[in-house]
Amino acid sequence: MHVNGDPVATPAEADHGLRLLDYLRDHLGLTGAKEGCGMGECGSCTVIIDGRAITSCLVLVGQVLDAEIRTVEGLAAAGHGPLQDAFVARQAVQCGYCIPGVLNSCAALLDRDPDPTDAQICEALDGNLCRCTAYNRFYDAVHDAAAARHPNGAGA
Amino acid sequence: MTPATPTLLRPTDPADVSRLLAGARAVAGGTDLLVQRRAGAEMPTLVDLSGLAGTRPAVVRDDATGELTLSAVHPLTDIADGAARAFPALTAAIGQFASTTIRNRATIGGNLVTGSPAADTAPALLAAGAVVDIVTPDGARRTVDLADFLLGPRRVDLAVGEWVTSVRVPQPPAEGGFRKIGGRRAQAISFLNLAWQWHREPDGRLTGVRLAMGSVAPTVVRLRTAAAALEAQIPTQDVVDAAVAVIDADISPIDDLRASAHYRRRCARGLLREALLPPSPGERPDQYVTPTTREKNQ
Repeated sequence: MHVNGDPVATPAEADHGLRLLDYLRDHLGLTGAKEGCGMGECGSCTVIIDGRAITSCLVLVGQVLDAEIRTVEGLAAAGHGPLQDAFVARQAVQCGYCIPGVLNSCAALLDRDPDPTDAQICEALDGNLCRCTAYNRFYDAVHDAAAARHPNGAGA
Repeated sequence: MTPATPTLLRPTDPADVSRLLAGARAVAGGTDLLVQRRAGAEMPTLVDLSGLAGTRPAVVRDDATGELTLSAVHPLTDIADGAARAFPALTAAIGQFASTTIRNRATIGGNLVTGSPAADTAPALLAAGAVVDIVTPDGARRTVDLADFLLGPRRVDLAVGEWVTSVRVPQPPAEGGFRKIGGRRAQAISFLNLAWQWHREPDGRLTGVRLAMGSVAPTVVRLRTAAAALEAQIPTQDVVDAAVAVIDADISPIDDLRASAHYRRRCARGLLREALLPPSPGERPDQYVTPTTREKNQ
């Protein structure tokens, strides 16, 4: 199991039934992923598993022992510093609780499509609730990040 | 309260699953099962089926017959990619299923086994005449029509120790689709959903019309009366009116926490009408799509 690019100790067999969210937070000390609803509805625990945004509250750690997992703590190292910078510059963060999950959904999208449309951003964020209603700023920040990562491309 | 940590068994060979399932429950994507567990359902031992996805492809097409074999243990995202043009109704249904994060995890097997009358993959599969491939506790196979597999709310034809390995459909026609009505566009359990498929003959007549609707009966149901009214017809306004007029014979909706029976009957007619005579995008605003600030400012 790799987390943020580094191999981590394989969970003990008795811990295989732990939720990935709990394993990340309580065993690895990666508290970026937040528990919101615990039912896959709100997206605040979203992490990237083998390139895909997934709610870590509905994954058992034993199901992803061979996976590459990215949490918000590893986003900058994975080349998504510009995305995080753009969230700051666009003031896309208010209370911040949803932001680790939102960033992971946006990062997984940008890895799939370096210059996404508004419709694609909307779809990528369809599992992430933000009650401070900063979605418009998320869109702007993703476009900024796309342009920053590909300065010679079409950009936003 | 966080339930006790279950024992998780991780077979990597499908042949081992039946043995491990004795006294345990199967989990694949976990997007429904782990929610039930959180709500208090006891499941001390779970057998992970998601690890089997690496042993086979998500979708296999038989070149001779066009039959599609859909893996029951792959995430819906993989199923949609694998069936992209071959099964338009299912691809459309997956596109409207829950959310990106859930589609990246949830499976067809889980969606069917949970036995919800609102399951969003079931109408497309039922309309297509799907059969469910089941592995029995002794490791043998049995196959059951999806129509017979779905017994009622939360009830399916799956005995203790059995698991669903795949779902097969005869080659679907080129035309098919799916529409749902929910409280919002994402993460919504359908108040009502409809899948359809048909051949459109060169003269415009529809043949092989097959319709299936969810959340209007104890299981997802075929709309046989409405389909019969459309068979071999050109879907003119009059023909569509006639099909819509008989849809009540095919459904038996109830009042529940999500919608009333009356509302569901009205929506059933509307969904069928929209499937046959789709509103053009410019005709009226999509109620779900609100422009972003940037779009408004442009």
